[in-house]
Amino acid sequence: MAVLPILHHPDPRLRHKTPPVTQFDETLQKLIDDLFETMYAAPGVGLAANQCGVPLRLAVMDCSETHDQPIVMINPEILERSERHIVEEGCLSVPEARDKIPRYHRVRLRALDRHGKPYELDAEGLLAQCIQHELDHLDGKLYIDYLSSLKRERIRKLLSRRKSASGG
Amino acid sequence: MSLADASHNPRAAAALAVAAVLAGTSLDDALPQASAGLAAADRALAQAIAYGVLRNRRLLEWLAARLLERPLKNEPRLQALLLGGLHQLRAMGVPDHAAVAETVAAAAALGKPWAKGLLNAVLRRYLRERSTLEAALPPDPALRLSYPDWLVARVREDWPSNWEAVLAAGNEPGPLTLRVNRRQTTREAYRDELAAAGIAAEPLAHAPDALRLHEPQPVASLPGWSAGRVSVQDAAAQLAAELLDAHPGHRVLDACSAPGGKTAHLLERTEALQLLALDRDAARLARVAENLHRLKLQAALRVADAAQPASWWDGVPFDRILLDAPCSGTGVIRRHPDIKWLRREADLAQAARTQGRLLKALWPLLAPGGVLLYATCSILRAEGEAVARAFRASQADAEELRIETPWGEAREIGRRLAPGGAYDGFYYARFIKKP
Repeated sequence: MAVLPILHHPDPRLRHKTPPVTQFDETLQKLIDDLFETMYAAPGVGLAANQCGVPLRLAVMDCSETHDQPIVMINPEILERSERHIVEEGCLSVPEARDKIPRYHRVRLRALDRHGKPYELDAEGLLAQCIQHELDHLDGKLYIDYLSSLKRERIRKLLSRRKSASGG
Repeated sequence: MSLADASHNPRAAAALAVAAVLAGTSLDDALPQASAGLAAADRALAQAIAYGVLRNRRLLEWLAARLLERPLKNEPRLQALLLGGLHQLRAMGVPDHAAVAETVAAAAALGKPWAKGLLNAVLRRYLRERSTLEAALPPDPALRLSYPDWLVARVREDWPSNWEAVLAAGNEPGPLTLRVNRRQTTREAYRDELAAAGIAAEPLAHAPDALRLHEPQPVASLPGWSAGRVSVQDAAAQLAAELLDAHPGHRVLDACSAPGGKTAHLLERTEALQLLALDRDAARLARVAENLHRLKLQAALRVADAAQPASWWDGVPFDRILLDAPCSGTGVIRRHPDIKWLRREADLAQAARTQGRLLKALWPLLAPGGVLLYATCSILRAEGEAVARAFRASQADAEELRIETPWGEAREIGRRLAPGGAYDGFYYARFIKKP
């Protein structure tokens, strides 16, 4: 297992829609293990494969503090949605920024598990928010896309300043 | 998706790192991530808190349990924040009011503003009752020195006369020790360079390239760091190259080389080595490459499992083999306090099996008259002496080449070093192949 580097906005690789997973082989299992390790180390509650530069429709999540509720979602889709509410959100690819955006409070998810077996899941609250956040990643979207262009520009400037300050 | 914003709050960052460790992540992964958004001074504070909490975890938890009316169930981050607050009040010299106020404020950064009142009450109660509470600490060394029971039992068995000192040494931060690159300079010349930069250092008697700094420094600010004149390496690890004693032209195998400290030392110490460095993990082997590049050294690197020579060995025997074997790391707890809580007793048997397998697989690759050095950064006999003894008993052409040195303690086979002072805990055994 290894902790992978996480891409930061405005990396163009975060902006591509990812193709579905078709091979459930050993390489995929190792990738899933690495994604979990990277996410736990971050620390984060969700991580999409394309945040680590791997263009696949795959994300891992664990919204527990005890790291014992891991969820793998592969080729996910949202079947049902409830009303929306305003929540605060942040992203491992947009470090140091957080803002309030609208998310569905409850969603019903359909996805494949790490062995390619389909499952459905009713989620609410933080987990529902996380599912929407990761699904956006897999479609090349970031949560800052829901903000005003003024706020988005401010975040972009902040991140490029930090990048040049750290010299890489 | 990221968590609540702890990126500007050192106490919250420390709590995140500690909670991540207790959920199974290594501190070396958790702490840099949790404190990535902090300025340098705050990062140092987060580090001091996280290390302190992991070093004193059982003791702090005992105190917390007495101060809380109900335990904090399913709130590992909040619990870690509270332990950090107690540690600041007990041992860090942070003024009481600052430790309380800042720890309370950090609850909001963890997304738990509801816990502010609770933290405030608990920390203030500690301040009121501290002398009674501290006097009531049970005498059990496992609790006072904050180690898991199984590890205390093992250390007690293996170090019957000084087990408490060995455990206590694991709670003292190790010094920053440098290894001067002999290819580029000498220890004396580099010590002068340090002195000119206002950095005090002393040479260590038993490790000829080692300089111990009186105060830790950011490594990148050391003179000649990027030019490769110096590396960071504990003195106990620097003994390996001396013990292996490779000669120019020797074919040398470093079987588990990452992160490459001993690999580089072998190359610095002896010219014209033909050195092959292996590691199973490609990402970790990349760090060996980086280190060698900085130090302007060359070796053949290969991602391979040393226990499977058929997949990588070219059939030409080695004159020297270094097996710096994977182990529990109980000798380096003072630098990695997370080891106390991440290791399980069952890991010891597993490590011993792996080590035995590596010795057995590598021995046939050694030329007659060649030397194999077996090293572990463990203080436990199960992954040191016991493995070495079993190996010698099973290998008719393996003779122990006794290590007669002023440092450490001679064992029935090999030599061990207790952690403390200039040295991490280590075990070394040396074998020569009968012609």
